[in-house]
Amino acid sequence: MSNTNHSLMDEALLDRLKEILLKDDRAELAEIKNILESRKHLAKKVSPIIEEHLSLLKENFSTEYEETINKLIENKLENSQDQILETIYPVLGRMIKKFINHQFENLKESIDGTVKNTLSFSALTRKFKSIFTGVDESDLILSNVSSAKIEEIFLIERDSGILLGTASIKTTIDQDVIAGMLTAIKAFVEDAFQKESLQLEMIEYGGYKIMIQTFYSYYIAAAVDGTLTSLEKQNILQSMHDFASKEIAIIPKPLNDKSILISSKLEDYFIKENSIASSKS
Amino acid sequence: MTSKKIILTGSFGVGKTSLFNQFIFNKFSDKYLTTIGVKVNKKTVDVGETKVNLLVWDIAGEVSQDKVPTSYFLGASGIIYVFDLTRPLTYKNLSTNIDYLKQLLPGGVIKVVGNKKDLLTESELQQVLDQVELPVQFTTSAKTGENVEKLFFDLAKELI
Repeated sequence: MSNTNHSLMDEALLDRLKEILLKDDRAELAEIKNILESRKHLAKKVSPIIEEHLSLLKENFSTEYEETINKLIENKLENSQDQILETIYPVLGRMIKKFINHQFENLKESIDGTVKNTLSFSALTRKFKSIFTGVDESDLILSNVSSAKIEEIFLIERDSGILLGTASIKTTIDQDVIAGMLTAIKAFVEDAFQKESLQLEMIEYGGYKIMIQTFYSYYIAAAVDGTLTSLEKQNILQSMHDFASKEIAIIPKPLNDKSILISSKLEDYFIKENSIASSKS
Repeated sequence: MTSKKIILTGSFGVGKTSLFNQFIFNKFSDKYLTTIGVKVNKKTVDVGETKVNLLVWDIAGEVSQDKVPTSYFLGASGIIYVFDLTRPLTYKNLSTNIDYLKQLLPGGVIKVVGNKKDLLTESELQQVLDQVELPVQFTTSAKTGENVEKLFFDLAKELI
């Protein structure tokens, strides 16, 4: 009994001693716990350290990590070339187009400047031509330096898409198939938009254009490579009209068995002579 | 040489493009790739002394023919209407579709063709033909090539 009383007293004394000795430590521990558990307090303590590290990282990033980053980029570029091309291709296309348009605007502006300041005979002639034809003078100058050319010309039966005649600088795929597909595209566009009085006049992809002029029973399609000014477009369309009225109108109908004759006329009219630079009328 | 425009039409998945490929390129593929819009190609057929340039327009399949742009049919000399011998839905409205095509191409030659013959036995084929409401001029197999050349040759012969 007395042993038990002694041990209880010892424990109480020990607790009391602990309390006295550890009082400050416990208070300090409670404060640390409070800081750790409270986000606000922790942030106050840690943020300056992180900021200091970040600023150090910013200062030394290029020297410390340059090699690793370069290696990562090189690996990524090497392993995902298709993916990268897929992503940048449209952007590149737009940039190139924008650049070319910009260069053309610059060119036109410089031509405009030249036109205003020139009083030579050719400039005056050009000025008169511009007034009479209604074509912009800059376009007249541009048409002299343009490298656009008709690569292929087709005369195609309007409804069936059967090729009536063709001439070309270089042979591409089967011309009967081109004629059929062109007619299918033309038919689809004209049908889809339900505009009976309207006709498909041009198909354009990149620097390549197919200019189309539709007549009653047939149409003429010219595949043109290069940049066309409005004057050149007008010249091609005018040439098509002239060809229809002067060359095709005199051929006895039906046209579907005159392929050799029509092809030879197309060759003379559009391929041998430069119908882009000037119309023959 | 004379050129003729031929239209291949019918419901989707009946084998129009397979007939087209078999006739033009002598090729067949089991893969099904739906036709978008229209595909045009040509093949020259000798009919006796005459060479006939057949320009074949393979049109995207439509259950109802009035959904096909009418301008595709303009200037055509003949139409091949294809149905699938194994799918009754593809010949269910046959006479309505053929009447419509006759209106579009008055006086033109229209051939009704049942394709995928290779998937049926002789008796099954006969049962199907009994169910079809119009006479079927040709039963073909684009896969084996059976009757494909004959179909286009007969059509060319009829057109000259």
